Amino acid sequence: MKFTLIKNIKKDNAMRLILTGFLSFILLYIISDTLVKYFGFGISVETINITLFGNEEEFIDPITKASFLEFWHVEIFFMMMILLTLSAIFIRLANRSRTFMVNTLMISAITSLIAIALAYFVSAIFVYLYVITFFIWHLSALYMILYSFWKLYAKGV
Amino acid sequence: MQKAYKLSIIYYLVFSLLLIASAVMLFEYKIGFSYEGVLDYYLGNEDKFIPAKSTSGLLKIALPHIFSFGLISMVLLHFLVFTKLRYKKSTLTVIYLTFLSAALEIFTPMLIVNGFEFAALLKLLSFFVFLTLILYISWLLFHSIIHD
Repeated sequence: MKFTLIKNIKKDNAMRLILTGFLSFILLYIISDTLVKYFGFGISVETINITLFGNEEEFIDPITKASFLEFWHVEIFFMMMILLTLSAIFIRLANRSRTFMVNTLMISAITSLIAIALAYFVSAIFVYLYVITFFIWHLSALYMILYSFWKLYAKGV
Repeated sequence: MQKAYKLSIIYYLVFSLLLIASAVMLFEYKIGFSYEGVLDYYLGNEDKFIPAKSTSGLLKIALPHIFSFGLISMVLLHFLVFTKLRYKKSTLTVIYLTFLSAALEIFTPMLIVNGFEFAALLKLLSFFVFLTLILYISWLLFHSIIHD
């Protein structure tokens, strides 16, 4: 987190390059996460419902409790690490709407994690909340990454 | 520290609470919080159709946990450096205890499958000590952010 202490990141070529590389990897993670979920767990209400609760007509078994808990556990870990670092970079580079974006990103991400657990253990209705918050936090992260790139390279900003 | 940084640390603490909740649920479901439950899970139990775990199987589970326990502990503990608590001796004790309990939590299953059954107690103890310390550090950070 040394970049939080450097006064002018744009003039520090090495740190600017390091942050560019790191932001590129976060961008790749966000895209890959969406694709992996699209082909596996599901990103629509219908596909997530099938994953969580199965489908008798198509002979698809529901996800086991152990598998769901493992998925949830790993998901929390990756999200907390990636979103903390992304928000730290964004806060360092952005001048305005920092608090708003961090709140939007974090609240939607935390809500999506709670919603998917509630969907599995309490009621399928929470799948709707999961899908909405899933897209909000992915889009917020995407905006924060692109904005950070712009702040790193745009002249006169 | 800027307000926005404090905000993202508070959210990180919320994620930590969720991680602890998922860890407790996973442990309770797969292993159980009893001495016998831990022994059954690692040594196997024919009556309950539980297969015994091998050392190589345990290493596969240990590998991602070595990385994640170290990273989570480091991130949480390094935030303490930004608070007034960095000058307290008790902070050093918390740091030692966190890394020690994390290591014990990861490696006690190796002892269990290699004949040291008493390590089941150590596994349970280290699991609760580690999670309690994560909660305690989270509380210290939250308190510092709110009041400092």
